[in-house]
Amino acid sequence: MTERYNPLCLAGKNILVTGAASGIGKATSLLLSKLGANLLLIDLNEIELNATIDKCSSNVIGLVLDITKSEVLKEKISRVVAEFGKLNGITHLAGKPSIVPLKTMSQKICTDIFQINTYPAIELSRIFINRNIFAGGSGSIVLISSVYGLVGSSANVAYATSKAALHGVTKSLAIELAPKNIRVNCIAPGFIKTEMMSENKKLFNDDYMNSLSSLHPLGLGEPDDVAYAIAFLLSDVSKWITGSILSVDGGFTAQ
Amino acid sequence: MENILTDLAEIMEVEKVAESDKLTEFDCWDSLTALSIIAFADENYKVTLSNKELLEVETIGGLIELIKTKKG
Repeated sequence: MTERYNPLCLAGKNILVTGAASGIGKATSLLLSKLGANLLLIDLNEIELNATIDKCSSNVIGLVLDITKSEVLKEKISRVVAEFGKLNGITHLAGKPSIVPLKTMSQKICTDIFQINTYPAIELSRIFINRNIFAGGSGSIVLISSVYGLVGSSANVAYATSKAALHGVTKSLAIELAPKNIRVNCIAPGFIKTEMMSENKKLFNDDYMNSLSSLHPLGLGEPDDVAYAIAFLLSDVSKWITGSILSVDGGFTAQ
Repeated sequence: MENILTDLAEIMEVEKVAESDKLTEFDCWDSLTALSIIAFADENYKVTLSNKELLEVETIGGLIELIKTKKG
């Protein structure tokens, strides 16, 4: 029996995923595994990371690591890659929300949010292009920003700038890394039903949370909605796409 | 917590506040100010307040008590 054609097949590809223990990161890990990718999954939460690994069906290795510790990031990833195999792609999903109005904003709050949402994207990209890490051939880096990197909203200056900065990272690295045949793209998701969103619910009143859904013509998203887009950008099907910011937002930014 | 009244006055956009002042009676009181207080408590006292808890607090004094209680 002939194998069914799957343009998103990732068999034989080694992919690094950050933020793999929950939400979109977990959904992405499970999908990439189903598509045949070998995965190096990174998260700080060991218990949830192991739970994700247990559900994966392909060759998977976990690394409990704080990605904000740039001084150890390269060494730890290099050590694992030496056993695991060189990488074909990375996707940076680790991140955290920050809902802080201007009145209580500070440089420290901004720096803290950039430490996890933005700087690791640059550091991971730098590590990825190392000749001992990148497998060669074609490579793909997929970053995750937010609709709030594209449009404004109240109490979001730190989060929005940390995510909008990723758009600059995406476009600059797309040009810089094109000669190495490494593509760099970014997905800007709308509101996704995840644990992170549940946390945000505590900060807002019910009216606001209900209004969020109505801002999305197709309703709120599921983690898989973003995971499929990540798989597309990691796969060779998207080999002529680089420097793109792909809105996966149920129509949020179409209005 | 000696500066908390000064900090809350800044958030409430007034010269000074008293413990008996009612939160909802400040001119600037709105959802953004509520979020500012939540962010202020988190950043300065590592206390996580929910919107529901904040709405149940009537006065500046009640707010300070809530932060103190949750801080432990």
